[in-house]
Amino acid sequence: MDRNQITKWLKAPAKMANKYSLHAIYFCTGCGIIEVPPVITARWDAERFGVIPVATPRQANLFLITGYVSVKTLRAIIRTYEQMYEPKYTVGFGSCPVNGGMYWDSYNTIKHLDKYIPIDGWIAGCMPRPEAIFIAVTHLWTLIDKEMANGYIRYRENYKSYRRNQELALGKLDWPPLYSVNDEPQGNE
Amino acid sequence: MNKSLKEKLESTFKDIRITIPEDSRIAVSAESDNILAILRFLKDAGFNHLALLSAVDWIEDDCFELCFILTSYERDNEVTGRQGLHIILKTRIPREKPQFKTTTGIFPNAEPYEREIHELFGINFEGHKRLTPLLLEREYEIPPFRKDFDTRKYVEDVFGNIPSVEDNK
Repeated sequence: MDRNQITKWLKAPAKMANKYSLHAIYFCTGCGIIEVPPVITARWDAERFGVIPVATPRQANLFLITGYVSVKTLRAIIRTYEQMYEPKYTVGFGSCPVNGGMYWDSYNTIKHLDKYIPIDGWIAGCMPRPEAIFIAVTHLWTLIDKEMANGYIRYRENYKSYRRNQELALGKLDWPPLYSVNDEPQGNE
Repeated sequence: MNKSLKEKLESTFKDIRITIPEDSRIAVSAESDNILAILRFLKDAGFNHLALLSAVDWIEDDCFELCFILTSYERDNEVTGRQGLHIILKTRIPREKPQFKTTTGIFPNAEPYEREIHELFGINFEGHKRLTPLLLEREYEIPPFRKDFDTRKYVEDVFGNIPSVEDNK
């Protein structure tokens, strides 16, 4: 263990433990997922950074969105994101989730993913190299340290606008809202 | 053997144009009424695999073009004997009346292709049992693969009008 970090460990052990064991949901979106198998296996070995893929959103706290998001995939992404336990972090991988990328004028691709779910960090590029995932992970550590990786808190606070945007893109949603969408001040959320 | 197949097709069907752009490829254009008969003929001749069914929107000529690509799995057949011989069968249908007969009776694997074309080009396949949405999430006024569908305007209207979360707290 790094001796310099002992005070941090003593101050907030849960946060530190969370930070060094990110469980990434193995969710394949678009073409960027092709970079993930070498990242999690012997060649680049993401376990050095504590990142390990898991099968279900219930066990995950890192959501890598790896590539263009079609309208149909957005539905799955929202459902997956809402099933993850807090604290949860999302990283958009590649230029397509940022602003549509090369699909900026496509009729069926979501342009700005952060209108629908909160994003903690972006990896730009088409494709980013696997090393970029590690740079993103170390940046995410810094953000978690400074409590700036607060996407799940923003989601809770602005849930009404997120839900409205989701309904604008997808039409009627066939699952109940995660948090209250009424105008009254929220009780015990 | 390309030659004999060409002669056979020309003698059996009227109004049919056949070119051989490459050794392993035969391009056939025919009237839309003849297509089912030609497909059946080719299937009996050994072309037993419909590899692709796609559509093209020729907006200047005011028509849609349906394109069937047939190949064969039979190696010893005298017509299709050469490995990799494939046939491209094309037909044009008018844009005002996008109607065609289903080919699922001849090639059952045409079903998803016809659903896709129905959804993206708005061509109706008579007799198809399940023309339900396949790929798209919502209704479009003009099917999105037609040339008169303005994708940029559509993107601006639909995705451009969704405000960012910071703007509408």
